[in-house]
Amino acid sequence: MIPLLALPATAGAQTLFGSGSSAEQPIMNVLFKAYNKLHKNIRFNYLPDGGNAGVTDVQAGRRLFSINTRPPLPSDAGTTYFKLWLDGLCIAVNPSNTVSNLTIAQTKNIFTGVATNWGQGFGSNLTTTIDPFGRNSTAGLYTFFQQAVLGGATQSSNVQQEGSDGLVATAVSKDPNGIGYVGIAHAGKGSGVKTVDVNGVPCNQANIKSENYPLFRYAWGVLPTSNPSKAVEKFFDWIRTSKQAGQIINRGGAVAAFNKK
Amino acid sequence: MSEDYFLEPDGDHEFLEGNRGLSQDQRAELGLGALVFVVVALLVAMLVFVLHEAWPSFAHNGLGWFAGGGSLDQQIEAIFNSGELKTAPVYTFHAWPLIWSTILITVGAVVIAFVTSLFVAVFIVEFAPGWLRRILEPVVRLLASVPSVIYGLAGVLVIVPLIGNHLITQSEKAAVTPTIQLSGASLLAAVLILTVMIAPIMIAVFADGLQAVPRGWLEGSLALGINEWRTFWKVAVRTARPVLIAGTVLATARALGEAIMVSMVSGGVPFTPNPVDGLIFFFEPSQPLAATIIRNSAEGLSSPPMKHTLYAIAAVLLFSSAMLSVIGWAAKQPMRRYGVTP
Repeated sequence: MIPLLALPATAGAQTLFGSGSSAEQPIMNVLFKAYNKLHKNIRFNYLPDGGNAGVTDVQAGRRLFSINTRPPLPSDAGTTYFKLWLDGLCIAVNPSNTVSNLTIAQTKNIFTGVATNWGQGFGSNLTTTIDPFGRNSTAGLYTFFQQAVLGGATQSSNVQQEGSDGLVATAVSKDPNGIGYVGIAHAGKGSGVKTVDVNGVPCNQANIKSENYPLFRYAWGVLPTSNPSKAVEKFFDWIRTSKQAGQIINRGGAVAAFNKK
Repeated sequence: MSEDYFLEPDGDHEFLEGNRGLSQDQRAELGLGALVFVVVALLVAMLVFVLHEAWPSFAHNGLGWFAGGGSLDQQIEAIFNSGELKTAPVYTFHAWPLIWSTILITVGAVVIAFVTSLFVAVFIVEFAPGWLRRILEPVVRLLASVPSVIYGLAGVLVIVPLIGNHLITQSEKAAVTPTIQLSGASLLAAVLILTVMIAPIMIAVFADGLQAVPRGWLEGSLALGINEWRTFWKVAVRTARPVLIAGTVLATARALGEAIMVSMVSGGVPFTPNPVDGLIFFFEPSQPLAATIIRNSAEGLSSPPMKHTLYAIAAVLLFSSAMLSVIGWAAKQPMRRYGVTP
């Protein structure tokens, strides 16, 4: 009976239930569609209830898999994490600003209100007040920024909070004194902003993939450790190894990891 | 048709034979009655649901919920993280900066819009030539139906940079950093754009009301030798007062609940703008209640304490809207005798 169920080709139509990160949902949706074209009998149902809620769903057996953007914690017992792809956080300034490199410490000073003027040794042509832009407290990107750059501190009250990465990029592109943090998808051509190197490393796909750029994170696939769904494992393998999935991920603004353990 | 088509149904057998026993009117009455019942039941269910979800936040904070104190950013972070990391739930929340911002932006926009709309409506109804009126009326109605995100985009791309790069000086910026940032996203931007958003509603309602004033009353005044301007002001506008109130209540409700546009141009920081700061007061950022819900509902709802807090904000907004209707109704009562009704 069990070996028969494990063969998707003979098992008929099957719906794989997942949940987790809402930030990664746009890419997941495209991946679901592409995978369904290759395997007509596999359908997906994804509930974007947040990374942590997703892990709880998998632990409780309510969902077959979840997607999370933070590394495993001790509270995730009974689950196994797979690296699916990478995402990078870029520091963006207005193109008229000549600043080209910031250290993590300098970035932290700007976003905690310690440094407030472009003339304070940033190598900028400006001597004006810094206008920092960021995301609101419950945004996933803010949580990442807070851990990776601010060392857990709350961003200063002079950081103007925007509802999306796109609005942060727009605000920085309109303000000569602006600086903001955005996902790499919102810092490319046509965004109207310039990215600066962080600790001397440019924010681009190659440096994120090689993990040389300091502000990267993985999107993780989460499965129960005991008795994971074979169909989901096959799907994760496809995301991690196939060229087609890699293209979808790169086009969606993230960085394909290609079989990173 | 036999005449028993008009008879009342007098037993179960009538129903068994189909609907032949119920007249068309009776069926319409039953159907519409059921529909009204469903609408009212849904409203009650929504109120109960929102209050039930909001209760943990109110219960924990008491009246302190409405007061100020501490950094609201840190409070939201602590509430959100306690749910995400599954530690003991945190509910401490002091919403005064959000409430104050809502009051400032709503009152500011409603006052400016009321004055301008009244003049525009008077002009359209009484003084504009016919051809201009035929152009103005559809334009006003179109403006009233523009989605708020369009106004928000105009604000982000035009108004906010204009204020930030041209009206605010470097010395003003340097004086208030790092407490706040004067980027142009401000009280001024929010009030200006909100005024443009709600004025068309007011103009449309006001103009309808002024047109409904009986011509005889105006002609009587004119016949007594009183000039047109004074007649209109003393007779027409006075008679239309209940409609002015109705239009203002409608526009205030829209202003109160406006979330998208305001969240884009108000600055997105839970800061309490202080009139004592002088001119800078108008450039100060803030975040009203409805914008806070929009901002935090994407990821925030997955954290139970954050969810309860957001519902508490929603409950306050619901209560405010209800109070607005009651106040509008009460204000209209003394004017019932001579006024035109909306």
